[in-house]
Amino acid sequence: MRAQRMRRTPLSVILGLLFLSMAATSKCLGKYHELLLQLRRQADLMQDTSTLLDPYIRIQGLDTPGLKEHCRECPGAFPSEDALRGLSRQGFLRTLNATLGLVLHRLTALYQDLPEAQQLVGLNIRGFRSNIHCMSLLLRSSSEAETPEPTQPGPGPTPPPTPPSDAFQHKLKSCRFLRGYHCFMHSVGQVLREWGESRSRSRSRRHSPRRAPGDTAPSGPCRGGARRMWPFRRDRRLMPRGHLPR
Amino acid sequence: MSQEDPAGENYRTTVKRNRVLHWSWESKLPLECAAHFIRMRSMVDDARIPKPGFWSNWSSWEEADAQNSLGHDPLLVFPKDKLVEEGSNVTICYVSRIHRDNISCYLEGVQIYGEQLDRSVSAFELKNVSFIRKRGTNVFCKVDQGGALGGIVLFVSKVLEEPKDFSCETQDLKTLTCTWDPGSDTGLSKQPSQSYTLFESFSGKKTLCKHRNWCNWQVAQDSQETYNFTLVAENYLRKRSVSILFNLTQRVHPMTPYNLFPKNVGATNATMTWKVHSIGNNSTLLCQLELLAEGKVIQQHNVSIKVNGEYLLSELEPDTEYVARVRCAYTNHFWKWSELISQKFNTAEAAPSEAPDVWRNMKMVSGHPTVSLFWKPLSKVHANGKILFYNVIVENLDKPSRLEVLSIPAPTRSTELTLDQCSYQIHVTAHNSVGPSPASVIVISGDPGNEEVESGRVNGTEDGFSVSWKPQSGDATGYVVEWCDGPQDLPCALQWKNLGPNTTSTVISSGAFRPGVRYNFRIYEISAKRMAHLLEKKAGYLEELAPSDNPQVVMSNLTSHSFTLSWKDYSTESQPGFIQGYHVYLKPKAGEQCPPAFEKTVLPEDSLCCKHTIDNPEQKTFVVENLQPESVYEFFVTAYTSVGEGPLDAFTKITTLDEYSHILIRIILPMIFCVLIVMIICYLKHQWLKEKCYPDIPDPYKSSVLSLIKSKENPHLTIMNINDCVPDAIEVINKPEGSKIQFLGTRKSLTETEFTKPAYIYLLPTEKNYSGPGPCICFENFTYNQAASDFASCGHFPVTPQAPPHQLGPLTSPENLLKALEQNYMNSLGEIPAGEANLNYVSQLASSTSGDKDSLPTNPPEPALCSEYKMQMVIPLGLASAPPSENSSLSSTTLLGQGEHYR
Repeated sequence: MRAQRMRRTPLSVILGLLFLSMAATSKCLGKYHELLLQLRRQADLMQDTSTLLDPYIRIQGLDTPGLKEHCRECPGAFPSEDALRGLSRQGFLRTLNATLGLVLHRLTALYQDLPEAQQLVGLNIRGFRSNIHCMSLLLRSSSEAETPEPTQPGPGPTPPPTPPSDAFQHKLKSCRFLRGYHCFMHSVGQVLREWGESRSRSRSRRHSPRRAPGDTAPSGPCRGGARRMWPFRRDRRLMPRGHLPR
Repeated sequence: MSQEDPAGENYRTTVKRNRVLHWSWESKLPLECAAHFIRMRSMVDDARIPKPGFWSNWSSWEEADAQNSLGHDPLLVFPKDKLVEEGSNVTICYVSRIHRDNISCYLEGVQIYGEQLDRSVSAFELKNVSFIRKRGTNVFCKVDQGGALGGIVLFVSKVLEEPKDFSCETQDLKTLTCTWDPGSDTGLSKQPSQSYTLFESFSGKKTLCKHRNWCNWQVAQDSQETYNFTLVAENYLRKRSVSILFNLTQRVHPMTPYNLFPKNVGATNATMTWKVHSIGNNSTLLCQLELLAEGKVIQQHNVSIKVNGEYLLSELEPDTEYVARVRCAYTNHFWKWSELISQKFNTAEAAPSEAPDVWRNMKMVSGHPTVSLFWKPLSKVHANGKILFYNVIVENLDKPSRLEVLSIPAPTRSTELTLDQCSYQIHVTAHNSVGPSPASVIVISGDPGNEEVESGRVNGTEDGFSVSWKPQSGDATGYVVEWCDGPQDLPCALQWKNLGPNTTSTVISSGAFRPGVRYNFRIYEISAKRMAHLLEKKAGYLEELAPSDNPQVVMSNLTSHSFTLSWKDYSTESQPGFIQGYHVYLKPKAGEQCPPAFEKTVLPEDSLCCKHTIDNPEQKTFVVENLQPESVYEFFVTAYTSVGEGPLDAFTKITTLDEYSHILIRIILPMIFCVLIVMIICYLKHQWLKEKCYPDIPDPYKSSVLSLIKSKENPHLTIMNINDCVPDAIEVINKPEGSKIQFLGTRKSLTETEFTKPAYIYLLPTEKNYSGPGPCICFENFTYNQAASDFASCGHFPVTPQAPPHQLGPLTSPENLLKALEQNYMNSLGEIPAGEANLNYVSQLASSTSGDKDSLPTNPPEPALCSEYKMQMVIPLGLASAPPSENSSLSSTTLLGQGEHYR
């Protein structure tokens, strides 16, 4: 496990720097599919618990029987996968952006506890948000007349961090928050994957969606919770002209 | 002042008027786990009041109960976020609001057991807690089977250590730098790392240090010389301090010198220059200049300078890399050397200081003495630079001639010279960029002479070969021991060792020497004329081994009682040890004793065997004698050295001959040979023998009958003369079967000729093939039948002119002949019907000139006209004689073969 984590860390660094460089150049990819693929891959990377949660548990000494089980996701801390599916694409992106902003803020408070991992994940989140911005622009250019949609409330119980009552509770809360973050990113990845599937369905009208080779969703960090595959609202108008598959 | 007892703690203090008393107290048991009570009493403590005084009554108990403000969590653990030092004892407790018994508590996952204080509170004493991590030690309690969870983080800090090695120094008398060893970091999530504060007591100043292990202090301008520093380390739990007192000028640690450079670098000297940072005004620094070669300090010099340093280094080696390094110290009060500054430099090259070590190897190539010159590369000490080439100057000592100079580029270490029969002096010099080395001189005689000397042996030891020799002449200027590093069968890597004139022994050692390899050493004496003469030859092994292979034995001279073994191809020189002799093993048949020259021995596989030892390594044959005839023996020959004998190989079987076979061989073989010779002679001379012993037609002159006739003096019986008969023709009709016919004249068999038709044979030439004057010949043969002579007459056998000569039939059988005559008489003039004639005729011609057919003249005798011949034949007595006619008057018996008309 440890070696696996060690292998993953440089990869996350490289990807993070890649995303950062993209954000820094402020050049958005003009191709919808490439951008979508990048978002998916970033989501897959960010749902990986070895980047944040696992080091945190190890450093805080929570990897002992009796404590591990209490590091569960707090219900409602992050938008559920169903809630994300229920959003329009623009709404989804806005919600995603807002939630990740809060996560970034919360991670800053965790710096003392997890300095290295926090820094890397912070880079990833910033890169991801940059791509969200690009996707949002791409969608907006294809659908100027889209009616504004309210943003799904972000993580309700993630207000600005307050001084913890005690260190033990703080450890557990932070652990749950990090697990919730990874679960959220897993859900985001699922929804983004369905974006591609919706395109395939709209074209082929087949019953079962196909996934592109190598575009398999990694197993998620969240336990339980049946994932509905297709409750997504079709909004073909959001596809950017000239880039949408025909 | 506090005081503890099992029931509680007492606190006593003195208070004064109008002064508020504060007592801070910390309970071992967290206040949240149990209610605490306090009461107080007082007494007057005044000198004016005689003692003992009287205590007042106790006040009523005041309760401090934190349980009411705990909140509504079902399970709470206390104390929260407590900070303790490593090794402390800590009491924790839990307060349960669910009143269950199945609550377990764990310290870092390990269950702990405590004391139940009441129905909902239990206390646990953690003794001697240890530091686990900076994020604190997790202690938690939980209701079993996945119930509520409560916990605390106990922050265990390492004990703050006293700073070690605290010292202060200055590099420029302006700033003091104090350093120390901080020890363990006591920082936790709950507590920052310990802080360090520097306090100077004389000036009363202090500074908070920004670093964990050093701190700068600005020296005051008021020329304060003495300083008393106190370093205080502090964290939430403890303070530690350490002090030093010193004089500023005694703590001067100069800065590292700079600009260290070599100047005027020669082959053996160089000047080093450097600079130092000034300390105060006109301060003098003591600098130490060290010179290192190959990592070792070879020179050390002290130089006092103010700002600029300079020193001339001498006695350096040419073309050598050196490292110069400098450090300085404050001269007034030595405290510490500055850091070192280093600089590499190379000295210049110089001419090589020593002649190369040269040796030679002489051999004759195509009748010319050829000298291989070898030399060893000069050591770095003597080369004084990179050797570029070697000069070889050849000088003829016997007649004045031009010097021959060869320039051989480095790193070549040998050359070959072809000389004549004169003596030569060879000079070898090594050259680098500066110049040549002294010459190494060697004299070579054109006539190598007979340098054969006897070989000796030398023993090898762990150190090598200890070679010694006896000086021959008193004017030796030195000795050279020469050898090859490799085995004999490899190309020789010639090695040599020069030794002084007074040396008579040396130890030759080489990492290339291997056990079991024969090394040959030659000891040469170098004369005053620098000529080398072979003194001795030695051979030896670093370690002798047993032979690795056995001789290839050839068996010969096998008799019934002995056989000979020989192994002449076995080379004793190439063995892994000195061959001392051979062991001949013989296995006789079961129950038989060993032959006399053998002794019984037991082989490694416990079988009995006979063994004969040959202690002469040059004896490579052996006759095994006194054996039993017709017996099976097995033999095996192996060589042995001082270490042992060769490997035990398979025995070779041999069976001795029986006792008489050799006699038989001696008799039968010559007989067979003689018979064979006779047979060959008979075959080669069979014609002659036939003539002599059983001729086809006997020579009447040689017949014994003739003598008989003569003895009886029968005038009627005479031998026919060839002139007596006139030749004629005889016609012979052959039968169709492939019978044989013998041609008298040619003695050739005509079996090749198959007659499918009746044929006529021209026995005498007809008009076509004979042009003689008369066609008449008579025959007489006394050897066949005497009775036949009574009927002798010149029978005429007409020959059919149409019959070709090659259609001759056989005339061998008398019966056939008789029939032929019969037919002849009955059918004269060729009236014999074809296919019915079956005449065989045999005749013999008695030549008047010679009786030997082999010596017949090449021109056969021409029959005289109308000569009378008597025909000899076997004729039945009742046969009437036919009267001669014109056509069949007399017959000729001449057979005409191809290319031969007469015989």
